[in-house]
Amino acid sequence: MISVSGVRKSFGAATVLNGVDLEIRQGEVVSVLGSSGSGKSTLIRCINGLEKIDAGKITVDGFDVSKPRELSEARKRSGTVFQLFNLYPHMTAVQNIALAPVEVLKVPRRQAEDEARELLRSVGLSERAEAYPSQLSGGQRQRVGICRALAMKPSYLLLDEVTSALDPEMTSEVLSILAALAKTGTTMVFVTHEIEFARSISTRIAFLDKGQLIADLPTAEFFSDKGMALPRVAQFLSKMRKD
Amino acid sequence: MRYGDFTPFDIVLLLQGLGVSLALFVSTTLIGLVIGTIWAVIRFYRVPVLTQIVTFVAELLKNSPVLVQLFLVFFGLPAFFKINVTPTEAAVITLSGNSAAFIYVIAVSAIESVGKDQLEAARVFGLTRWQILRRVIAPQAAAFAIGPLTGLLVNQLQVTSLISVIGVMDLTKVGNILNLRTLKPFIVWTAVGALYYLTAKLVAYAGGRFEKRLRAHTAWRGL
Repeated sequence: MISVSGVRKSFGAATVLNGVDLEIRQGEVVSVLGSSGSGKSTLIRCINGLEKIDAGKITVDGFDVSKPRELSEARKRSGTVFQLFNLYPHMTAVQNIALAPVEVLKVPRRQAEDEARELLRSVGLSERAEAYPSQLSGGQRQRVGICRALAMKPSYLLLDEVTSALDPEMTSEVLSILAALAKTGTTMVFVTHEIEFARSISTRIAFLDKGQLIADLPTAEFFSDKGMALPRVAQFLSKMRKD
Repeated sequence: MRYGDFTPFDIVLLLQGLGVSLALFVSTTLIGLVIGTIWAVIRFYRVPVLTQIVTFVAELLKNSPVLVQLFLVFFGLPAFFKINVTPTEAAVITLSGNSAAFIYVIAVSAIESVGKDQLEAARVFGLTRWQILRRVIAPQAAAFAIGPLTGLLVNQLQVTSLISVIGVMDLTKVGNILNLRTLKPFIVWTAVGALYYLTAKLVAYAGGRFEKRLRAHTAWRGL
């Protein structure tokens, strides 16, 4: 379980997270919605320890991410996929995926690369295994990024606006992979602007506004009268649907 | 009796001088690479005290003439510390230190050229600082550094000629001797210059080849 309680985070004078509580249990797909600057990405970056929180507590399977010792254990349990892919440009797709298993989990290189090829096959990229990121399209890069996170066999997948840098066609190729993952019961925290997609795969929707979680509802309820009763949510949804 | 004419042996002399210059260039470059890289790693880890010392020493070495440093080592060390320093030792110490300082600067900017996104991608998967340095930063930093490094080395090759003033028998010193004997400066210095030129071209060529290899991943090979 990922447990976020009373988390505050500010950058200088700007308060980005202002007392956020959120629990993500095994098997859930939680989408975090909210307008730009609402603190969605920061929340993910706090969970994987890329940002230090000012107050509150975040634990991943009981490991406190603010303690360096426990952070490494917490990180072994969660895999992050980045908005801008963040692939290592000097490594091929297979090497990108196999790096962390080899270095962190001490998996023999051969085995790690075989597993990487298997993952690439599952996302339809077996042909591109030896390609460098610069030789891949955006959608292909993000699929490699997803494989890289999955290679660590994480209990939780943290997805930080993974389709925001992609055109609609590439977005759909990435989303179809995520939908398949959701079906297999992979636990996901999904920060996104893809509302319709969030609706189709999530078990729960969390809505962030100005650093506060103003809604945390099962998907069906969020998109029903209960969610619409919240003015900020209604406003956000109507805006997004017009686009 | 004076030998004012060139003899075939002069070519051997020139090549010997070239050999000395090259040996000094290669050895001081290697020492400089090791020291400069270690300094950069110290800075990467932000080791307290050591980082400040390294920065200070590198600043001193960068911002004073090599010739002055050479005199300080050759005349200063014996005078102050009562250590005997041969011309070759003085040359090795000075040129290594000077190369190290500039290589340090290149290495630091090369490390900093690697995007923060790369560090984050490696950190979230639990790689240690050392693993990140070795597997993620170093290969990318090397690809960045090789260009400026080649430029620096071409320059450092020319700088080795300064050591002739303390009596090391390098290419320039040999040129000086031949010039004084034959009194044909135009021919002598043209030959010496040509040898430096060819060697520098060779260094640049090797650097270019190496760069191509390090940057293989950026080459477009088609989809």
